[in-house]
Amino acid sequence: MSSLADHGTEYGVVESEPPELLGRNLNSAAHLLASATAFFFLAFVFAYFYLRSLDNDHLWRPKHVDPSLTLGTLVMALTVASAVIVRLGLDDHRSGRRAQWRLKGAVALAAGVVAVVLQVVEWTTVGFGPADGGYASVFVGWTAFNVFFIVGTLVWLENLVATSIRYREIPSGAPAPGHASGDPGRMGHDIFDPLSLVRQGLEALSFYWTFLAGLGVVAWVILYLA
Amino acid sequence: MSAAAVEIRPPVWRRLFGFNALTAVLLGVGGWYLGWFIGHQVTGPSIDYFGDIDQNDISIFLGYFLGVGGFLIGLGFGVYPWARLRGYPPSLREKETEGVGRYFGLCTDHKVVGIQYLCGIGLFFFIGGLNAMLIRAELLSPTNHIFPPGQYLTLVGMHGTMMMGMMTSGILGPFANYFVPLMIGARRMAFPRIESLTFWLLMAAGAILTTTIFFGGFPTGWTGYEPLNDQANGGMDAYIVFFALVGISMCLLGLNMIATIVTMRAPGLTWSRLPIFCWGVVATSILNLLAAPVLIAVLAMAMLDRTAQTVFFNASGGGSPYLYQNLFWVFGHPEVYILALPGFAIVLELLPVFARKPLWGYRLAVAGLLGVTLLSFLVWQHHLFVSGINADLRPFYMLSTELISIPTGFTFICGLMTLWRGQIRFTVPMLFCLAWFFNFLIGGLSGVFLSDVPSDVTTHGSFFSMAHFHYTIMGGLVFTFFAAIYYWIPKMTGFQLNELLGKIHFWVMFLAFNSTFAPLFAVGFLGQPRRVVSYPAHLHFLNEWVSVSAFVLGASMLVFLYNFVYSLLFARIPAPANPWGSLSLEWQLPSPVPVHDFDRLPVISGEPYAYGEQGGPPIAAPAPAPAGGMS
Repeated sequence: MSSLADHGTEYGVVESEPPELLGRNLNSAAHLLASATAFFFLAFVFAYFYLRSLDNDHLWRPKHVDPSLTLGTLVMALTVASAVIVRLGLDDHRSGRRAQWRLKGAVALAAGVVAVVLQVVEWTTVGFGPADGGYASVFVGWTAFNVFFIVGTLVWLENLVATSIRYREIPSGAPAPGHASGDPGRMGHDIFDPLSLVRQGLEALSFYWTFLAGLGVVAWVILYLA
Repeated sequence: MSAAAVEIRPPVWRRLFGFNALTAVLLGVGGWYLGWFIGHQVTGPSIDYFGDIDQNDISIFLGYFLGVGGFLIGLGFGVYPWARLRGYPPSLREKETEGVGRYFGLCTDHKVVGIQYLCGIGLFFFIGGLNAMLIRAELLSPTNHIFPPGQYLTLVGMHGTMMMGMMTSGILGPFANYFVPLMIGARRMAFPRIESLTFWLLMAAGAILTTTIFFGGFPTGWTGYEPLNDQANGGMDAYIVFFALVGISMCLLGLNMIATIVTMRAPGLTWSRLPIFCWGVVATSILNLLAAPVLIAVLAMAMLDRTAQTVFFNASGGGSPYLYQNLFWVFGHPEVYILALPGFAIVLELLPVFARKPLWGYRLAVAGLLGVTLLSFLVWQHHLFVSGINADLRPFYMLSTELISIPTGFTFICGLMTLWRGQIRFTVPMLFCLAWFFNFLIGGLSGVFLSDVPSDVTTHGSFFSMAHFHYTIMGGLVFTFFAAIYYWIPKMTGFQLNELLGKIHFWVMFLAFNSTFAPLFAVGFLGQPRRVVSYPAHLHFLNEWVSVSAFVLGASMLVFLYNFVYSLLFARIPAPANPWGSLSLEWQLPSPVPVHDFDRLPVISGEPYAYGEQGGPPIAAPAPAPAGGMS
């Protein structure tokens, strides 16, 4: 029988994982998710330039197909602003100013939600339909899935803000060890300090949200300015 | 089980309708009808378009989406996100209990997920295989005699799509989920809930694809080409949702694998000590992570074309069907390597064990795997040689495609040199690995004809290309899939499979496989096109030969199935902890592996393939217990 594991072992003596592991996982996942997101939107970039270069029957972009630059700019600016506020909130959290982080988190969430609402407003007032040529199709598809990713990221942000608010009275210093996979019986809660992962989660979120905002700027340049 | 645990056990009705597969199916069906109803309320017969064609794609898509949502909620995937929305803290584990019930729901134990994958994928592999039998039954006659042409096309499409979709996770799903944490000295995957989600998404996808028959099937084959895709009836929606779910599952699986291997390796397990199987998983996961999003995007565009009336692929509206071909193959060619690379990795992992020699050229093998990964993104237009692409592009894609044979050759060389002067043991897993050399060589050499523009013009779309990719994918993936099953089942279940039945399975499968697909090269050269139900009378004999061989090939799977059921349910001969004498870390654990994997995280102190070195140090030892460091 190997000395590495034994059926007869009591789970109570199972060694804990290194405490920094959970943060490293989140950080890796954020970077990998950003890579996958980039490849997803590359398909729309390819579609944009491919259909534009073909310009079948001169239907790439008929004259009436002209989305609102104002609304598009507002959506992009609010997304970028939200990402910047999250980054500032991360700085607050690192400096121990947890109340300021909660406030900034809530403001960033609100900015993101307003961006989504404005995008919906743009769709309802845009003056052309998805069938009005190649550009219209790319516009509808790209903006729709951009909103999809934004909403997903806002849910992530909401989770962090909600945890911070729910446990706002708990004093938390340095991240406590995440007792992942190490507790007796593997039935109880496996991360002792509920706030121990907020910092790492926020760092991962801030990276991904900044990346997504950058993609939003690229989309704005291509769809509204190019 | 403790007395306290027995006391809190819920009643039977509560267990039946808790978060499990039964509830999931009920909520899935309910979600489907809710989506169907909402779709009709949103669009309804008032829209002329739907009135004209008597088909409401919005309803079908909404039905599928809400059905999948209900299915996942029924399994318990909604509980954790709902808790997180309300600010409850994160956790890693869910339902890591004992008993059979854990296999029918959300479970975050990577070993449970591995076995779920093995059974789930096996089920759909069986369905896909049955489709193949029906296809060959139809081709016993030069004219259609069982299925009308439309149904035949759907059969071909379902077979190809099922196999290409489900088998993307054929090795990563069961074996990487189960063994990568053990091989790297970890107790879990980086994201255990996502790990479970990838499996259940795949099961939902498989079920959805089979529902295509209720909506008239689909005529496009596994590639879903436009404009046929846009013009097809409601069965096409099932294809789109199926492949999109497979894409999401693949992407998340890749993300989880890379994160696990990058961050959770045990102390001392440097990159140069990483088992070659894990390198293969990394390479495949990179492809999963980056190629699958493109598939999801192109299917999203196809869905928008069919529902919101966008014109991405509609040439008369300003789009282009070639856009679909380009984007599909940006995914589709890496997909081929997503299927092939895990097979390479299995072969390289097993050969040292059964040749009792270190893996020859470890770094060269890693370079080969990563080289294939990189080049696979640069070859997609060879699928469009006869689609009317700019002729100036052809030489580049011909060259880049042929370049792939170089890193693939690295794998071959490393494998062959590992065998050279080894003390080879012809066990069942080893036989399947040796068959890989033969099959993949034929598959690879015939691929050169398809990457070469002049010969591709002749052979494209014929049974020649069909024979080629069956030699690479079935000969490369499915044979190594069985090698992995025979090799690792003793560790997964604690029981050993019958050796004699395993050898019978191998020889029948190997001979029947070659008897089935080798003649198809000739059939293709003689002009029989793919996906066409009838063929010239002079090809009758060859087709009969192929069909009979295919039936024998199908029968060989029954031998395996019998062995599997007989050995694990009836014979139940306990397997030794390390029956093959492997040095790999997973074999240093008891069989089956305890739920927590390792008492203490191991420290890796040696190379993974130090076979034949007398008195060499063990590759791993438990870490010294830190003072007060136990929980």
